[in-house]
Amino acid sequence: MEKRESMWDVYLRKGMSRRSFLKGCVTLTSLMGLSTASLSKVVEAAETKPLPVVIWIHGHECTGCDESFIRSASPLASDVVLNDIALEYDHLLSAACGEPFEAHLEQTIQKYRGQYILAVEGAVSTKDNGIYCMSGGHTFTSMLQHAAEHAAAVIAYGTCAAYGGIQAAKPNPTGSSGIAHFVGRAPVVNVPGCPPIPEVMTGVVMHVALFGTLPPLDSENRPKQFYGNRIHDTCYRRPFFDAGMFAERFDDAGAKAGWCLYKLGCRGPETYNSCGNIRWYQGMSYPIQSGAPCIGCSNAHFWDEDPMSQRMPEYGPLGNVDKIGAGLAAVTTLGVVAHGAASVVQRNKREEEE
Amino acid sequence: MKRVVVDPITRIEGHLRVEVNVDEGTGQVTDALSSGTAWRGLELIMRDRDPRDAWAYIQRVCGVCTTAHALASVRAVEDALGIKIPKNANYIRNIMAATLTVQDHIVHFYHLHALDWVSPVDALAANPEATANLQNALLNGYKLPFVGPTAIPTEAYPHDFPAATPQYFAGIQAKVKAIVESGQLGIFSAQWWDHPDYKLLPPEVHLLAVAHYLEMLDKQRELVTPHVVFGGKNPHPHYVVGGMACSISLNDGNAPINTARLAIVDRAINMARTLANNYYLPDLLAIGTAYVKAGKVDGGGLAKTRVLAYGAYPIEEYNGTKSGGFFNNLLIRCNGVVENFGQGVANATFTEIKPEDVSAPEVFTESVEHGWYNYPDGDSKEIHPWEGITEPKFTGPKEGTGTQWQTLNEGGKYSWLKTPKWRGKLCEVGPLARYIIIYTKAQKGLLPEPTWAEKMMLDQVNAVSGALGLAPEVWLPTMVGRTAARGLDAQLNAEINKFFFDKLIANLKTGDTTVANMEKWEPSTWPKEAKGVGLYEAPRGGLSHWIDIKDGKTANYQCVVPTTWNACPRDDKAGHGAYELAMMDTHVAIPDKPLEIAKVIRSFDPCMACATHMYNAKGERINVITTDPYSGTKIEK
Repeated sequence: MEKRESMWDVYLRKGMSRRSFLKGCVTLTSLMGLSTASLSKVVEAAETKPLPVVIWIHGHECTGCDESFIRSASPLASDVVLNDIALEYDHLLSAACGEPFEAHLEQTIQKYRGQYILAVEGAVSTKDNGIYCMSGGHTFTSMLQHAAEHAAAVIAYGTCAAYGGIQAAKPNPTGSSGIAHFVGRAPVVNVPGCPPIPEVMTGVVMHVALFGTLPPLDSENRPKQFYGNRIHDTCYRRPFFDAGMFAERFDDAGAKAGWCLYKLGCRGPETYNSCGNIRWYQGMSYPIQSGAPCIGCSNAHFWDEDPMSQRMPEYGPLGNVDKIGAGLAAVTTLGVVAHGAASVVQRNKREEEE
Repeated sequence: MKRVVVDPITRIEGHLRVEVNVDEGTGQVTDALSSGTAWRGLELIMRDRDPRDAWAYIQRVCGVCTTAHALASVRAVEDALGIKIPKNANYIRNIMAATLTVQDHIVHFYHLHALDWVSPVDALAANPEATANLQNALLNGYKLPFVGPTAIPTEAYPHDFPAATPQYFAGIQAKVKAIVESGQLGIFSAQWWDHPDYKLLPPEVHLLAVAHYLEMLDKQRELVTPHVVFGGKNPHPHYVVGGMACSISLNDGNAPINTARLAIVDRAINMARTLANNYYLPDLLAIGTAYVKAGKVDGGGLAKTRVLAYGAYPIEEYNGTKSGGFFNNLLIRCNGVVENFGQGVANATFTEIKPEDVSAPEVFTESVEHGWYNYPDGDSKEIHPWEGITEPKFTGPKEGTGTQWQTLNEGGKYSWLKTPKWRGKLCEVGPLARYIIIYTKAQKGLLPEPTWAEKMMLDQVNAVSGALGLAPEVWLPTMVGRTAARGLDAQLNAEINKFFFDKLIANLKTGDTTVANMEKWEPSTWPKEAKGVGLYEAPRGGLSHWIDIKDGKTANYQCVVPTTWNACPRDDKAGHGAYELAMMDTHVAIPDKPLEIAKVIRSFDPCMACATHMYNAKGERINVITTDPYSGTKIEK
């Protein structure tokens, strides 16, 4: 195998001292949650571990995730693509096409066997042997299985790769699903969203590039640092929910004043994502801030939780939301519990209908 | 004769395969097929859902031209239900559309198309000092000095200016050298960098273009901030049937839109104008001129014979598409078809697209002779989108198996695209079509009082014709012309964006802050059945969405999108589509390295996810559906 640049090589090339390198390793060790006894292992890994190779493949998708990735401001996409990773295969940005491009994919898989990161955008189309999604003359399914077999880890970018996404919505004409069942034993990081926030997408890659390890994951394999909160928990309009101040229809006085959008169908209360804290474009906005109720695009089956403009009819057996949030702390707590429960009831209702 | 397959075509949206027969002696392409190789069935998914949600679902057709499908969708639903959106909503939607167009064109030129023309490998031979001089020469010689009617100038000076210093270019060159020498070429891997086409340009043009590739990769994100402000995010900003969700208030601290938010939009618009004027057009003209001077004026294809557009930018709020409101109120009146432009403007004909045409069963249709679909009454039947039928019928390749293709069957079915037609004929769409139509109309005296935007288009065409020393009918319907028209369209749309921003501010000054008309929000106010169409001149060309609403639900949804027009499979009566004809009009120097084929295809800016999801419809016979995610491991026979 050709020698590849390690983190130590980068420090050398940039003229940085051994001392600063070791300091970096100490920081890494603590950030990775390891004890100081593991420091020697981290130093060894950073001296020899090459920069990550990334292969990015596309199934049933809209390329919105690629587009989101290149919208990242920190890190800038140009820095990620040319400096932090070696992006050896990607349908959107790669120069090459056709046969030499497919041959390069195979060479990359063989050369970096067991070491590369596989980024997957899009769902797997399973119906009729996978003929609804062909690339390079073969099915995306076979490409995914082959590329995943030798991957060190797999990143499922977007709700399509994580859960099936739009094409898996009823009646799912192409039998689309998330990729998890097609990747074998490789660990999967789910990065849902339609698309995910740009800095969340690059953040996962940066975590691997900086720390040499996958980010800590929750029980659904989502990076905890980006999917640890419901949008509702961090929403700047949360005080209006708690105070029972709602927009009743689009563009009414409440909508102009920036009150809570719960009654217009907002899915913030059941959606785990970083829209409320990181927001889009480095804090510039997110749908709720721009007056649009959240549609829950990082949730597994959000496309079938329609109509988007309604929460459950009359807000379910728990009563009207106006009675829920009345400003008093005790009542507020009840309100939070109540609409959490309401979300569950709504989901059960949907599942019953199916 | 050699059969050359290029699959996947990269630097596009989605999954596209092309196959061409090349005469190895002459380099002539004798036959070409274009195949969309994926189908997601989104229109089937639209059935029975709330029409007020349609924009969110159908926007996911494409994340590259994000916003385009949402806009066409809300227009279709509003046409069906007779909803007139408020003035501000029309301006904001136009700003979002123009924002998309400029950003999308810049990303296409620098990140999806540039590497067909310029090479990082050739950039290594450049002299940084000569490159800096070249940059100055381009800014002196290739800027097009056209502006729209700026009511409120908000920019003190052009903030975004290309660097023209040797040190800057030397730095970029050093980075490229490090990548090439590392052996890990990343995104630059495996391309035909030794292709003779790359030698048409001097090394300095390569270095300059690579530098701008990187700069634009960093800056393109800032151009779409109007989507983030008005729609909450990008890709896939939010819309609302009846207007926009982003309420405006100059009295509330938490309002979605206030002066500070408008200032973000203003900055993005100014930046887009500057990037188009200082980077895009000079770079484009430098490359285009070199190609034209080298005699590379091929790749025109169908553009010489027939182009189509629906018309762009309703200036004020309007009542409906079918009723004519849309057509009577256009900033760019390119609604029509020009035939035989390649034979000179004197021999060309113009046919207007009128409001009644959208409802007429014979004007806009689709057939499936060579698409993997079945029509109960015969695959060559021409069916109006409102009556569209979808019944997938995969027939496999000519050689190979259903899941391992060697070559596709041009004699039978070979693509997941349908074949759209205008009065039984195939058409090319896109910025090139818009420019050909406006130019032809003007030459024939059919634009008696051109709008400022139409006049700017004519000025642009004349300026480029002067620079190239060729008549528009010679340079426009070519591969270079298609790419050049997109650049002109970016400059035009940057000015259009400013135009509508100024209109928005002027209207807010009157005290009108309304952004949504909610009178017909409740389904109880809707008729039992209603049909609508939404039209939008998207970055890639004319886009139409068609909806049939019954009992408050979506009964039928159909999109006929630009890439379906351009990339469609052939029709036994009507002939080849635009991709196929453009390939057949392209000379291939080395059949084993068909760079010219990839380049001419990319000159259309393909968007395959759009093109292959257009099939709604009734789909009654698709009743065996796998929804269990685990079942994919089973092989269905």
